[in-house]
Amino acid sequence: MTASRTVNRGVKIVGLLALIALALAFPSLAPDPFILSVGVVIMSYAVLATSWNFVGGFTGYISLGHAAYSGLGGYATALLILDAGLNPWVAMLLGAVGVALLAVPIGIASLRVRGASFVIVSIALVLIMLLAFQSWGSVTGGSNGLRVPRPFGPEVLRPEQHERFFYLHLALLAIALFTWWAIDRSRFGIGLKAIREDEDKAEALGVPTFSYKLAVFVVSAFFTALGGGLYALWFGFLDPIFQFSILVGSYMVLMSLLGGIRSLFGPLLGAVIVGYALEFFKAQYGDTQFHLVALGLLLALVVLFMPDGIIPAVGQLVARFRPQAASIREQTQAELAAQRRGEASEPDRDDAMAVSGEEARR
Amino acid sequence: MSGSLILQSVVLGVLLGGLYALLAAGLTLYFGVMRVVMIAHSAFLILAAYLAWYFTSQTGLDPLFSLIITVPLFFVAGVVMQRLLISRLRPATLTMMSVLLTFSIALVIEGMLGFIFSGTQRRIQLPYSGTSFEVFGANIAVVKLIAFVLAAASLLALYLIMKRTRFGQALRATIQHPEAARLVGVNTDRVAGYGFGLGLATAAVGGTALALDSTIYPSLHWHWIGPLMAIIVVGGLGSIPGAAIAAMVLGIGQALLQLPLGTTWAQTIFYVALFATLMLRPQGFFGGRLAQRF
Repeated sequence: MTASRTVNRGVKIVGLLALIALALAFPSLAPDPFILSVGVVIMSYAVLATSWNFVGGFTGYISLGHAAYSGLGGYATALLILDAGLNPWVAMLLGAVGVALLAVPIGIASLRVRGASFVIVSIALVLIMLLAFQSWGSVTGGSNGLRVPRPFGPEVLRPEQHERFFYLHLALLAIALFTWWAIDRSRFGIGLKAIREDEDKAEALGVPTFSYKLAVFVVSAFFTALGGGLYALWFGFLDPIFQFSILVGSYMVLMSLLGGIRSLFGPLLGAVIVGYALEFFKAQYGDTQFHLVALGLLLALVVLFMPDGIIPAVGQLVARFRPQAASIREQTQAELAAQRRGEASEPDRDDAMAVSGEEARR
Repeated sequence: MSGSLILQSVVLGVLLGGLYALLAAGLTLYFGVMRVVMIAHSAFLILAAYLAWYFTSQTGLDPLFSLIITVPLFFVAGVVMQRLLISRLRPATLTMMSVLLTFSIALVIEGMLGFIFSGTQRRIQLPYSGTSFEVFGANIAVVKLIAFVLAAASLLALYLIMKRTRFGQALRATIQHPEAARLVGVNTDRVAGYGFGLGLATAAVGGTALALDSTIYPSLHWHWIGPLMAIIVVGGLGSIPGAAIAAMVLGIGQALLQLPLGTTWAQTIFYVALFATLMLRPQGFFGGRLAQRF
């Protein structure tokens, strides 16, 4: 048992190192800047999906409106640079803190009642943000969009920009994954997962459900806003239609669900698959309405047939070829009776030992 | 001048509120029978509007005649959707997963509409499109009045079905307490399917009413789903009278706010009302026991 556990752990560490090495080597492996830019987009999706998974994975509350936080993060970063003249990285961090503060009242409103209202508020939030940022042209540039100044000087060329932002996204992803992993192992994380499984029972067992949900919701909004801000700095242009699009929010959901919301690397895997498919689709067929149909069908298939995602499905497949580790006790009634008799006779033996001990002392 | 302007707005608000009320009643039905937040409701609304437009442009008949086809079609589609898709989901995660499932249906509908009819804005031209008459200085367009009458008549029919028929009784029993309903011999699965069909039929009626006097395009449904969901939360999830009252109040409020704020910002009244409701009275203003747990 312990031997197989060590082997398991070794495999995991080797896999993780391989993953890190592959990610670090990607910019030098990429044949041209376009592929590199696709890599940056996929990394950005991975950051957003992992950030989404703080709420979706731990508590099971599905938010369709996380695009509101990434969009706000992007706009906050841009406006802090343009209007307050801050350093881009300080602006990104401050913007994310601001979005996290904004998420507090939103969370209080939407998490007070179960499920349904949470989803409704999450969708309403994106729609309201789209409305506000399109109409409030004097500050946000309205439908004309907003140009974000580049954080690196003009001497840094395009391919190098892509490479730097790839590593920046990777670093942010690593921080988000580490935070998720740390929460997953903490008491806080156990409480959150209890909410996911059965909120009533969790509450009855003394889990402060509301404050736990709110805390993880704010953490999720913070990381999503960071992801949005970093994307804005890379892309250099913000348009409300794309920033506050309900589609972006649904990409995050689809990626996380496809990979598996209960696994650390699920959203990353989903982001790589869906992100690659999206870019491939765009390059191959251009911007037709058909990508909506494809996205819808894929989401429906995942929801109907694979709601747990790829990682658990593959895990089950692997487990099938392993020695059985059943949670059910495989004992016959006769064996159990024999064991009970053994246990019942044990106290006698203890007494006997105590007696012999006393004798020895004398 | 100002007085007649306000009267005009109130009239417009009532006419719009009627349509909101009918559509919100449909959303409430889905939520009542299955605890499903049906995101695709407004996508079906736009689909019905497109079918009405297509019907008129092909046959030259009045779009109202398309109801003969779309209402039964949507009813069957609703039953099929409930029986084949929604009921397959695990009960434990039904609320969340049904949102995603209906969301994906909405995406497919929007994508197909864009694919088949292209993204061009469409509008039905009717001989009576521009006609209007005056009541106490308020100008009422005939098409808006027809849309309102259509919505009001359907809402009345829905009310009569729910209150006066045996099926309505079974439907209400299913909404109130599915287990108890099963115990007294209601086939709740079948009733839930029909409830879904009825909800979708409201989208068919609403879509035809919408097609009479507005310009339609595939992504229009996002402008409808937000207000509709705000209405059902404000009214209390699961309460049809609550949804109807909230629809009227918010519809009139929107029309009145259009005077000082303009059409875009006036829409925010729905979201402000949504947040205020969740802060002050999360179960909604007219909701009962059902809304408290969801």
